[in-house]
Amino acid sequence: MNPTEIFYWSLAATAAGLVLTGVWGVLTRKNILRIALAFTLADTGVNLLLVWSGFIPGRSAPIMDPTVTSVVDPLPQALVLTSIVIGVAVAALFVVVGVLAARKSGSADVRRMKELRW
Amino acid sequence: MIRSITGMIIVLALAAAVFSVIPYNGVTEELHGAGSYYAENGVADTGSINLVTSVVVAYRGLDTLGEVVVLFSASTAVVLILSLVPMGGKPTAPSQIVQTTARILPGAITLFGIYIVTHGHLSPGGGFPGGAVVASAFLLVLLGSRSLPGAAGMLTAVESLAGLAFGLLGFWGVYVMGQFLNSRVLPGGSPGQLISAGIIPLVSLAIGAKVASELSGVFASYRSKGETVEPD
Repeated sequence: MNPTEIFYWSLAATAAGLVLTGVWGVLTRKNILRIALAFTLADTGVNLLLVWSGFIPGRSAPIMDPTVTSVVDPLPQALVLTSIVIGVAVAALFVVVGVLAARKSGSADVRRMKELRW
Repeated sequence: MIRSITGMIIVLALAAAVFSVIPYNGVTEELHGAGSYYAENGVADTGSINLVTSVVVAYRGLDTLGEVVVLFSASTAVVLILSLVPMGGKPTAPSQIVQTTARILPGAITLFGIYIVTHGHLSPGGGFPGGAVVASAFLLVLLGSRSLPGAAGMLTAVESLAGLAFGLLGFWGVYVMGQFLNSRVLPGGSPGQLISAGIIPLVSLAIGAKVASELSGVFASYRSKGETVEPD
């Protein structure tokens, strides 16, 4: 593998690692705020994976200056712009609901939140 | 213990699934499909040299309207929950450093945010990042002040008007060109100039105002109305 390919695949590996770390955190952590943190970590990984999917080594950002000849794919970047904003909104809602649940059960530990059991 | 082991097994299974679908056929070298169409015709179609902005605001403007709706419902839910169930607890008074920063910096941060919003069709930026920067200036003011700033009541008005402006700009395109959010209802100008790209800068302004007021509203709702911080 040449340096370009190593950079290219390490981006994908970082994104996959972030997603997997986030999923692991959501599954194993007990504090609801840590679960929210792990959730945003997975979110970031998904965004990075999407941007990576449109990335072409050696090309510049999709801003068509007269000096620019070839650009990367603008579509995934536009989608990720949407995804980041939605992620922030969902994270804000997650934290507020989490704080409410923690206040109701007297602890941020999800094992003590009896309403979550079925 | 069982929980961690199960978590590990699930994550490893997911990792195997992810690595099995990644095509290891080398580095991508050409654009395909929609991406190559945008790269070839984006500037001619919309007049915006930033292709990401032209996708977000013009080609996929309807998706952006949906995104604004999602952001609106999430921020409304946060504000609603916090107004029904106040978080309580006594906020601590801001330190000298925060107070001094909150007096000096917000003007410059707001100006930078407006710059990002208005240059969305020329450089990386646009309504969403610029609006978030403006909201961060509001957050700094909120952190440095002892009570809710008086302007907080205007946030709802700005938010509603910006949403209305976005919708009206979209339907202007339907009325003139038969296409929602067509950027060509205003003359395109010469690409690369500040006044160019049809209605894209106007839509960016509407999105920026909406995002800034929504995020500011979320920040403001963390501090209950009429609550003041006792001086040290």
